[in-house]
Amino acid sequence: MIYLDNAATSWPKPELVYETLGSFLRHSGANPGRSGHRMAVSAAGTIDRTRARLAALFNAPAPERVIFTLNATDALNFALKGVLSAGDHAVSTMMEHNSVRRPLRAMEAQGVATTKVPANPEGFVSPDDIREALRPNTQLIALTHASNVNGALQPIADVAEIARDHGALLLVDGAQTAGTVQIDMAHLGIDLLAIPGHKALMGPPGTGALLLGDRVDLDELNTVREGGTGGNSEEDTQPRELPARYEAGTHNTVGIAALGAALDVLSDIGFDEAGQHELDMTFRLIEGLVGQEGVNVLNPNDTSRHVAVVSITVDGWEPAEFGATLDSAFDIACRTGLHCAPEACQALGAFPLGTIRLSPGYWTTPDEIDQAVHAVRELARAPLGMTT
Amino acid sequence: MSDTSRSRLHDNRYARQQIISSIGDAGQERLANARIAILGVGALGTHIADTLARAGVGSIRLIDRDVPELSNLQRQVLFDTDDVYNGIPKAAAAADRLARVNPDIRIETEIADINPTNVERLIEGVDLILDGSDNFELRYLLNDAAVKHRTPWIYGGAISTHGMTMTIRPEATPCLRCVFPDSPAPGDALTCDTAGVLSPAVAMVAAVQSTEAIKYLTGNLDALHGSLVMIDVWSLHMRSVELGHPEPECPACGARSFEFLDRQAPRQTTELCGSDSVQVLVHPAPQLSLDSLAKRLAAVGEVSHNPYLLRFQVNGYQMTVFPDGRAIVKGTTDSAEARTLYARYVGM
Repeated sequence: MIYLDNAATSWPKPELVYETLGSFLRHSGANPGRSGHRMAVSAAGTIDRTRARLAALFNAPAPERVIFTLNATDALNFALKGVLSAGDHAVSTMMEHNSVRRPLRAMEAQGVATTKVPANPEGFVSPDDIREALRPNTQLIALTHASNVNGALQPIADVAEIARDHGALLLVDGAQTAGTVQIDMAHLGIDLLAIPGHKALMGPPGTGALLLGDRVDLDELNTVREGGTGGNSEEDTQPRELPARYEAGTHNTVGIAALGAALDVLSDIGFDEAGQHELDMTFRLIEGLVGQEGVNVLNPNDTSRHVAVVSITVDGWEPAEFGATLDSAFDIACRTGLHCAPEACQALGAFPLGTIRLSPGYWTTPDEIDQAVHAVRELARAPLGMTT
Repeated sequence: MSDTSRSRLHDNRYARQQIISSIGDAGQERLANARIAILGVGALGTHIADTLARAGVGSIRLIDRDVPELSNLQRQVLFDTDDVYNGIPKAAAAADRLARVNPDIRIETEIADINPTNVERLIEGVDLILDGSDNFELRYLLNDAAVKHRTPWIYGGAISTHGMTMTIRPEATPCLRCVFPDSPAPGDALTCDTAGVLSPAVAMVAAVQSTEAIKYLTGNLDALHGSLVMIDVWSLHMRSVELGHPEPECPACGARSFEFLDRQAPRQTTELCGSDSVQVLVHPAPQLSLDSLAKRLAAVGEVSHNPYLLRFQVNGYQMTVFPDGRAIVKGTTDSAEARTLYARYVGM
């Protein structure tokens, strides 16, 4: 199978990730931070190591400002519900995934006001539009780093400056960039960074993190769930210490250990090399498709402004049928439809049917890209006619 | 109506069948104590339910998830035009009708999609199951569940002008998989929606199934026909193949391995994001001839196809079928409805 659905989750995972999942569960599967026996201490050590690695990778102020979550959606929920309270205003954009769109919609019912900034037909959001959307009570700007529909990279540093000037926090959804684009929180001015562990970072599903910058005032941040943390058990309120404050309940120790292993592998490969390979495959794919009769590539023209996500539509084909044909006749796995980002599809002119998304990963080979290009071209020549 | 006259009515209700010596008062009593389930309340199911309710089977469970359509009325006897327009589920409409036909029996309704997760619950506590289903996926599932719980069932199927039936008593007779080890691949079997069905063909098969049920429930086991019976009501040709003994190698009743029951879903469905459609994926993937499927479907709706896919439109739905058996059903987000449409038009 040619796997071009790495934007959903990367596959395959490095061998060391598979091995760690098995060996960690077998040999170090104790509950970290809950007991003093050696296995529990060792489990806690593994989690702390992964935490420290993530803090270093994204230049977070301190390891304890890395909060482990279930995935990026969980991290985004945490950030949105942690920062915003009734009476606050938040700015988001049309390019956001449902992981931002839906929590914000739900919070409107609790008295949070929201403004959604449009995107241009290439999927870019303008910093000026964001500035204009600000209100005196704007507490948060939520922006995706790169679109999960067409890979468009947003001008994070410019928006960070606007946020800083206004005294608002900037939340960045790093679902499509963490592990493939360098993200220096301090340098870019990101206050809250939500990342998945299972995409470009090559970890297993069920891993993710929210990284808190030093402008995030812990006294202002609501806890979203409360529970056991292993310490201060006599208290009936959540402890103030990080990361325990935001990590109630038993960790996904095995997943976090395997994420740590994935980070080791990526660091051996070189983060820049891995990211560059994904981009090389992406450009090879786009080059093969641009200008083909019937194929519309929805990525930004400027290749320096997008990540390894390619969206296309093909004349005469519904995306869902096209994807099913790629799978059934060519053994190519991709994703079709709205990608949980309906307004982004609207901005790109691909609503309501959505797009065909092909997302290469580190393990994708040039030969696989060429086969995919061949398949798309062949199908583009055999449309059955749209009947919607 | 006074109690005395009602009781006289009761005395008379089954008089004409009680006179038959093989039934008699004892047989009638056994029928009154019997519990059956009818899986699928369509053409066969309504004929069987009507006959067995009138015959005085004490408890009848009707299981079906569909609502009647106008094209059902030609052969599905318990429904009328109002039921179609009011959208009353088949099981409920049939129960309502049967309660008026025979108020002395108990009718249960289960408006449910029958699948591996619920079939065992649906057949729990019955003495006999009658097959009123319209597809083989369901029959193999039913066979597994019935063999597993050692509950007898009566297979029946009708299409065009002919039909087939056999009575399965687990461990005493061959089961469905002893006779047909594998279910037909999608696209291979004809369906009523593609090949049509004549009402008397249904009535004929249902009559044999109902008679077998009465024989079984009244304890006339020696009178069961013991065959795979094939009848064509048009030519009036009938053929029956004696069944013999259960097949020791049979995966279901021999090895007691219940693949259809254990399989999470032989047809997995996925709701497709943003397109008002459901994808039906078939395991294991068959090799389907789009050419021959196109020929069969041409009589029913608008069909077009290329080497990669076949697109078919009927009743406001659009089905796109691929050579590996998968289909995208557009016009619904209900996976049970998508599976029903798949069974009807692609078939299994």
